[in-house]
Amino acid sequence: MRTGRPNIWLRQSLPWVLPVFLLLGWHLLSHREMIPNYLLPHPQQVLVAGLDYILGDPQKGIYTGRFWGDFSASIGRVLLGFSLATAIGLPLGLLSGRLNSIQLLLGTTLNALRAVPGICWLPLALIWFGIGLKTTVFLVALAAFFPIFLNVEAGARQINPILTQAGTMLGMNRTRRIYRVLLPAAMPHIVTGLRLGMGVSWAYLVLGELTGVPNGLGAVIMDARMLGRNDIIIVGIILIALIGRLCDTGLHLLLRLFFKSARRLT
Amino acid sequence: MSRGHLQIIHPRQDIIAEPVILEVNGLVKRFTSDANEQISALKDLSFSVAQKELVCLLGPSGCGKSTLLKLLAGFIKPSAGKILLNGEPMHHPGPACCMVFQEDALFPWLTVRENIAFGLVNSPLSRRRKRQEVDRFIDLVGLSDFGDYLPREISGGMKQRVALARVLILQPRILLMDEPFAALDAQTREQMQSLLQELRRQFAPTILFVTHDVTEALLLGERILLFDKNPGRISHDIKVDLPKIRSINHEAFLRLRTRINDLLKKE
Repeated sequence: MRTGRPNIWLRQSLPWVLPVFLLLGWHLLSHREMIPNYLLPHPQQVLVAGLDYILGDPQKGIYTGRFWGDFSASIGRVLLGFSLATAIGLPLGLLSGRLNSIQLLLGTTLNALRAVPGICWLPLALIWFGIGLKTTVFLVALAAFFPIFLNVEAGARQINPILTQAGTMLGMNRTRRIYRVLLPAAMPHIVTGLRLGMGVSWAYLVLGELTGVPNGLGAVIMDARMLGRNDIIIVGIILIALIGRLCDTGLHLLLRLFFKSARRLT
Repeated sequence: MSRGHLQIIHPRQDIIAEPVILEVNGLVKRFTSDANEQISALKDLSFSVAQKELVCLLGPSGCGKSTLLKLLAGFIKPSAGKILLNGEPMHHPGPACCMVFQEDALFPWLTVRENIAFGLVNSPLSRRRKRQEVDRFIDLVGLSDFGDYLPREISGGMKQRVALARVLILQPRILLMDEPFAALDAQTREQMQSLLQELRRQFAPTILFVTHDVTEALLLGERILLFDKNPGRISHDIKVDLPKIRSINHEAFLRLRTRINDLLKKE
């Protein structure tokens, strides 16, 4: 249990303190022109650019109204890569956590691969898949795989043996035990793994999109740099932060909606 | 809590000779230690248990009584020897031989009701009948108001009630209890001991009850198998010949307790 839990008013307001101060500081710095505008644009300029980027008529400018196209391209890539990573990482993690032979078989290799920073795969991915969807999805899947695999493995390994014994005793066969005991018991770790994987997915999405794909939130940032539109760069950064955060919350809500164990143990 | 007034009403006073339900023959269990040495947890154990009997396995920690229970539950395999249930060898762990663990072994993501219903998935009963069964067992262990609580929201004694209900609902032929009340406070333990006798009156399961508490063994048991300090052997097979209403103040009770304590010290 936490001690010294702050009251409701404080709990509601504390998370906003830092953003508000950052914004104020930024406003002050730009307003007094302590930092030249070409390095850091004025917040108001960024706001205008952001509204234009999201709401404007696409016919009227390079970045005007591009958001929805970029957003759907990016989120598609993230979800594809993340799903791939989950589809492979989750069952493999469960197996490796429960069966010593699988752990011995995979452990060394996967840990060696994990030590390689994801960015190292970029050149090779470009050669294999070219610029575009496949490279990005590959990078996202590869990066998201490790947190998912490792957390699920830890969760499956740490299940109290008494729970699996109780499951067997109460008449569960092997398959039933997976769904009725192993998965729910490992659920807190699975949720952690998936959330971390989702976070990493967004990081590697941007990396994949920086290589010259025509659309996507990462592509917009790179594009804006070349055209000297630093306001759009900041709009992109803020949007990625917001969408990443929303994806995390959404994922957690979905898991809690569909799994009793996620609802009650996390 | 003073236990001076403690008494328990035994469901079965006149023990009629019941048929043997469990037979253990030449049971041996060896473990291999980390240093690759062979450790014998059980050495050539033989005994039999009659139907409806409550047998207490009493002995110091490390004497192999918990290992015996795990073997009977089928969680581990014997190195040699036989376990016969109704004359047939036991193979898999399953509802025929159910265990109530010492520690909390409830599924933490399931409510009290769902925990008790857990083993019923294999039952051919209709959904409605299952609900009624679960209701009946929740009532039996006195948790009617707590059906929708999660294990973390109820006390240790309540958890053990749920653990009891969740196996009794499957009508096991043998109930294995591994120091089920050891972690409870004295008052709760007394309540649980009475509850156990109450449940025996209704279901008459055969029970093997592991404990290291002489008083508990004498209050509950019809027979006490005394384990040796030299691990893995049964040194004495004691019939508990006490009146139906057992009170820890009775002369006979005290005499028997002294005798057992002496036996335990001697070894």
